[in-house]
Amino acid sequence: MDTWFGEVEISDEGEIEKCNLSSRDPKELAERIHQIQKKGTAFRAGIELREIAFQCGFVDNDSEYLSLLQEACVEAARQSIKESYTPDLPIIHAVGVIDDIDEAVNLLAERLSVWYGDHFPELGLKTSDLASFVESKGLRNDMSPDDSFYVLTENSMGCPMGEKEGLILKAFAGDILALYERRSSLEQYIRDNMEDVAANLCHLAGPLLGARLISMAGSLKKLASLPSSTIQVMGANNALFKHLRSKAPSPKHGIIFNHPLVKGSSPRNRGKIARALAAKISLAARIDAFSGEFRPFLKDELEKKVASIESRQEKKRKGVGK
Amino acid sequence: MKVQELSGGVYEIKGGRKKQIATRNLVPGNIVYGERTIEDESVEYRVWNPRRSKLGAMAIRKFQMPFSKDSRVLYLGAASGTTVSHVSDMVPEGVVYAVEFAPTTMRQLLRLCDVRKNIVPLLADASRPVSYAHVVEPVDVIFQDVAQPNQAEIAVDNARQYLKKGGNLLLSIKARSVDSTAVPEKIFKEQLKILSAAQGIKLKILKKQNLSPFHIDHMGIVAQRIG
Repeated sequence: MDTWFGEVEISDEGEIEKCNLSSRDPKELAERIHQIQKKGTAFRAGIELREIAFQCGFVDNDSEYLSLLQEACVEAARQSIKESYTPDLPIIHAVGVIDDIDEAVNLLAERLSVWYGDHFPELGLKTSDLASFVESKGLRNDMSPDDSFYVLTENSMGCPMGEKEGLILKAFAGDILALYERRSSLEQYIRDNMEDVAANLCHLAGPLLGARLISMAGSLKKLASLPSSTIQVMGANNALFKHLRSKAPSPKHGIIFNHPLVKGSSPRNRGKIARALAAKISLAARIDAFSGEFRPFLKDELEKKVASIESRQEKKRKGVGK
Repeated sequence: MKVQELSGGVYEIKGGRKKQIATRNLVPGNIVYGERTIEDESVEYRVWNPRRSKLGAMAIRKFQMPFSKDSRVLYLGAASGTTVSHVSDMVPEGVVYAVEFAPTTMRQLLRLCDVRKNIVPLLADASRPVSYAHVVEPVDVIFQDVAQPNQAEIAVDNARQYLKKGGNLLLSIKARSVDSTAVPEKIFKEQLKILSAAQGIKLKILKKQNLSPFHIDHMGIVAQRIG
């Protein structure tokens, strides 16, 4: 029987027959705890370990027992945490940052548009276009007469603005622009790295959708353990719970709607195609999580399936026309 | 201000507008999650917010706290250690085996373990009690707050294997983790049935109470192992 302080053999009568004690070095004990946990060797739980440790002469008193155990367990937990980081983690964080940027940048861009709108309401630009305009051109007065927007400045109903405010707005627009750039560089990062993390998922669903699925599930392993019916409606939480609570129809698709095969399908086929796609996605995630082998034919199979769904629909329509 | 012990290391602080509970700080001068401290007769107490802790809500609802100075406690679902720190206060000469599954929250718990030497951290899955059998001894109290669909089964499994006869099981049941659409009262009933009909262990329910308004759709349960 493996205990944290050594190997012990106990007879059926509860007598200790043999104890092979480990050293009392906390680092070694931690390694031992960590290894037993990884191996997962099961024995009967709830044994008076402390008593056995006393009888084997591992320690003499309670406080010694506890301080050694505590130190070793802290170190063992540190080890396990160190080994718990998986390659899909940076992808998940990148998706998280993109979402945070989206939320923040919308707010900031809205503020810029309101403030700059006081000065130049005729401009009519929005979001990143507005930010890059303000950043490069500044206030109305700063524009050169050959600029294509110059016509709009004549007879503007906006209020005049001083140099100080102009500088603030220019810098602020620069900040917003930097966030837009950060967002696209993160997207690029995901595109470049999804293939290494989950090749099949990436090939089938596309890097960005694949990354989002992983992040919603929590990890690639968790995504792999989800039923495909869950994957099909992931991201349609409101609709799903409405369906479960009342008599609302079930959602046909969640986030996987963004896949071109689903998005581009006719509404009548959409549910069927979403179901087929979700099934293949869960297969792909499982292969990526557990074998890692690349199997491009998954996508061909999906395309065949989608084609057959569409032709069935086609036939049906012709049949009605007869 | 008057400080009075309620039960098992939980103190009621009288005076001021609202009723407050607190535990005696094991490491005076050190606070864990930004809680207030109160000094009375040169003893430092940490105020316990029942909205942030199911056990705290149970304590303020006059649940008998089964802790004594040297209790051995198995704590399932330790998270970042907010409540664990109060349990650690209540068992200054005992030990808290704190089981937590998520590495991210475990990181925070480990920082707590550096200051509080009576917390033994375990990065393990509470639904597999045997996975920490090489470390955990039989205990006097099990407290569980895991928010899993099979929370009652997890409690029974752990109690069967680690709870001494006569020991207490403190349990917070979250209805929404079992079924997010069903009526909570119905779920509580089913979960209580699982506890009392468990195989290989006899649990006597001593007290059960809804923890609202501190925690919505949660029920606090205390049971004693009688066989």
